[in-house]
Amino acid sequence: MKTEIADRALEMALRCGCQDVKVVLMQNQETTIQIQNGRTERMQQATATSLAFNLFIEGRDGFFYTNKLDEQELAPFIRQAVETTRLLEPDDSRTLADASRYYRGGGPDLQNFDPEMNCIDPAEKRALAERNNARLAGRDKRIISTETQYRDRQHEAYYLISNGFRGSEQSSYCMLSTIVTVEGQDGQHPMDGWGNTRIFYHDLPEEGVAEVALERTLRKIGQRPICSGSYTMILESPVAGSLLQPLLNAMGGQALQQRTSFLADSLGRQVASPQLSLVDDPLIPGTRGASLFDYDGVATRRRQLFERGRLCTYFIDTPCSRKLGIPPTTQGIHHLIMEPGEHTLEGLMQQAGRAIMVTDLNGGNCDPATGRFSYGIEGFLIEGGKIVQPVSGMNITGDMLTLWQSLVAVGNDADPWETELIPSLTFSNVSFSGI
Amino acid sequence: MNPELFSPILAAALSRGGQYADIYAEDTTVTSIELQDGRVSQAQQAVLYGAGIRVIHDGQTGYAYTMDLSPEALLRAARFAGSISGSTSVGSQQPATPPDTFCWPARETDKTRLPHDLHPPLAQISAVPSHRVRQLLLRLDEEARQSDPRIIRVKAALTQRIQRIQFANSQGEAYTDQRPRTALVVRIVMEQGGQTQMGMATSMMQMGAEFVTHERIQNVMSEAISRAAFLFDAVQPQGGEMPVVMAAGGSGILLHEAIGHAFEADFIRQGTSIFTGQLGRQICSPEITIVDDGTQPGDAGMLRWDDEGVPGQRTTLVREGRLESFLYDRISAEHFHVKPTGNGRRESFRYVPQPRMRSTYMLAGQATEEDIIRSVRRGIYAQVFTNGQVQIGAGDFTFYMKQGYLIEDGHLTRPIRDVNIIGNGPQALRDISMVADNLLIDHSASMCGKGGQSVPVSQGLPTVLINKLIVG
Repeated sequence: MKTEIADRALEMALRCGCQDVKVVLMQNQETTIQIQNGRTERMQQATATSLAFNLFIEGRDGFFYTNKLDEQELAPFIRQAVETTRLLEPDDSRTLADASRYYRGGGPDLQNFDPEMNCIDPAEKRALAERNNARLAGRDKRIISTETQYRDRQHEAYYLISNGFRGSEQSSYCMLSTIVTVEGQDGQHPMDGWGNTRIFYHDLPEEGVAEVALERTLRKIGQRPICSGSYTMILESPVAGSLLQPLLNAMGGQALQQRTSFLADSLGRQVASPQLSLVDDPLIPGTRGASLFDYDGVATRRRQLFERGRLCTYFIDTPCSRKLGIPPTTQGIHHLIMEPGEHTLEGLMQQAGRAIMVTDLNGGNCDPATGRFSYGIEGFLIEGGKIVQPVSGMNITGDMLTLWQSLVAVGNDADPWETELIPSLTFSNVSFSGI
Repeated sequence: MNPELFSPILAAALSRGGQYADIYAEDTTVTSIELQDGRVSQAQQAVLYGAGIRVIHDGQTGYAYTMDLSPEALLRAARFAGSISGSTSVGSQQPATPPDTFCWPARETDKTRLPHDLHPPLAQISAVPSHRVRQLLLRLDEEARQSDPRIIRVKAALTQRIQRIQFANSQGEAYTDQRPRTALVVRIVMEQGGQTQMGMATSMMQMGAEFVTHERIQNVMSEAISRAAFLFDAVQPQGGEMPVVMAAGGSGILLHEAIGHAFEADFIRQGTSIFTGQLGRQICSPEITIVDDGTQPGDAGMLRWDDEGVPGQRTTLVREGRLESFLYDRISAEHFHVKPTGNGRRESFRYVPQPRMRSTYMLAGQATEEDIIRSVRRGIYAQVFTNGQVQIGAGDFTFYMKQGYLIEDGHLTRPIRDVNIIGNGPQALRDISMVADNLLIDHSASMCGKGGQSVPVSQGLPTVLINKLIVG
């Protein structure tokens, strides 16, 4: 990546009267290949380079983004950006991070970038997706459609901050996934999928995608809502992060400062079940989301978010720190790990006896100020530790704090290749609405 | 992009035998100015510039985009896109020949050939100057705080976007277009008796400076305030299966989720939609007619041309209960041997077009809202919504109701909040038993997501009664 353009942009902005400037030059290279029922539906490839700025002028801060990187285009863009920033009202909270918090080098090699990925012929990637899709050809007469997608992305970013930070980062991922649709009952077409993600292309396994996608789809035939009531809920690992997200949102500095967080005044308090221990660890080599510094250039570190249900931190960036009068921490999460329990998913099902296992969420929302939520779900009724009935068209309702206080077991089945390692979870007494 | 490059780029795209190619170039500017904590202290501006080149061969798509519009970069993108045809067997159609000249229906000097004149003349589209936005937001903050002492936070943002598009295809069609879009978002936080509640209201139109009127700003602000205040007394109702009365306006989310997505013809072509094979059949009451409309001036879903060069139009999806048309882009229309309906849309040059909704609404019926509410013994009246979703294959849709009322013995009683409502698309449509005479199109800032792309839409509905849905 040619970083000179970022250096020139920073100089231009300073010459135009900015006291401080943050410039981030980003370059992404992407390939997407989609195979539908044995035929190539779409091949797509692109390289995108862009520049993002924060301009700081006399207590004012504006954010700007452009992909017109020709110097003749960039200069008037920066002049216009400076004019726009000058129109704002001063806000003392909006400053760069303290330079003493910047990453100063010496971190480990994070091994999260595959330099070869973009050199591989798209024809080879297409053949991989075709082979994967072909695994389902003729496998089951109920199949209506199989869609396999190969996707990869190389990301590079170069950071330049006028009060003393210069750094670059790289990351990559590739993903092979399949979605299957089958003929169900009463004209319904159940659909489900599965996928694998890796950092390095040559680590991406071909097996265990198409077959799992088909198996997950077939078991959904006959889905229907069952009786409303209070059930034990097993939340399958791939969707468990969705119900954790409202907790993470409520830990954000903006939500706290704007008084729209149900976790206000909760730091150090037991807000969830002792089963919940959660860390953000950006410094583990070979993991997705690993990063030596955050978007502000601040050095990252392992950070305990919850310890046996006790809230250990908020996500406080520099402006929120100044507004709230509390020390800054970090902007947000990078690589989230929930402390695993002893059981596999099957173990959780055995332990629960009778439960509804939720395998997907269908719409819904959570009020950020109160934590009241309602989500559509689909999954399976479990009896005697076994699946006895596919379930859909039902809702779960409650409030987030009560839900997380009712966490009774944590599984050990998180996918280590995700950015959030959340295993399957068991909650007691969850209110389900059905027929 | 230099129009003289259209012909050689399309020639390169088709050089391996493709049957169709197009170029979609875009230069978009987005400016957002935000008020928070009594100060207009945040501004964002983004420029998005580039071109996407697409080749279609027997329904297969090769696509590449570039942010470098030099001839060399465009040729590289064109050759990659064209590779879709080079590696497939002989197609059912003849390869296309790149055109030497283009018909320019949208040249600024030639407005007489426009299919319909939806936007103001291209040269007259303007944005509100930043200093004026600052004044408007400060006034909004002051008026909001004066209106209710319980208000502790006001956040408001005005976002203005102008998208300039050039399009050309291998059939010799070309257009230029400018699409202005302005949105206002207001968020109010109130405190009462130790409780905090948040209300949000939005408005979004395809307009430039004319969007900003004191009346519109007042309306959005008042709506946000009343929504926050409403929540103090509202409760989550007992869940279960019950009749649901959908209030006029934003309840059009029902159509969007319950049938709109399942009518998108890519899902029909793949056979995955629950409405596959239903064309021409009676699917609901003859009282129901549903359209998807790209011709409403100022509407978020308005399109003079869609994003693959098809003129904007109004499509009747369901006429008097009979399924009349799906939503077709070029690929699905070719597959089904019908004309595209102008629903090929994309978020930007970085994406391929897909069949997408525009403004989806049901025409008014004969009943009154009072008749409908009076007919329900126990159910809910759903009024304000935040988001929705659908499982295309199963047809199960959901939408999240933020605000509504219980209906008891034909009257609105307790205020209710925060429930997800679930139904099955075809069944819910069959279960609509009453349609009122009060059609209202909702102009909130609605963005519709599909396949990783987000496009602006709108929706509308007269008040309707659905005999049973599952309420969270």
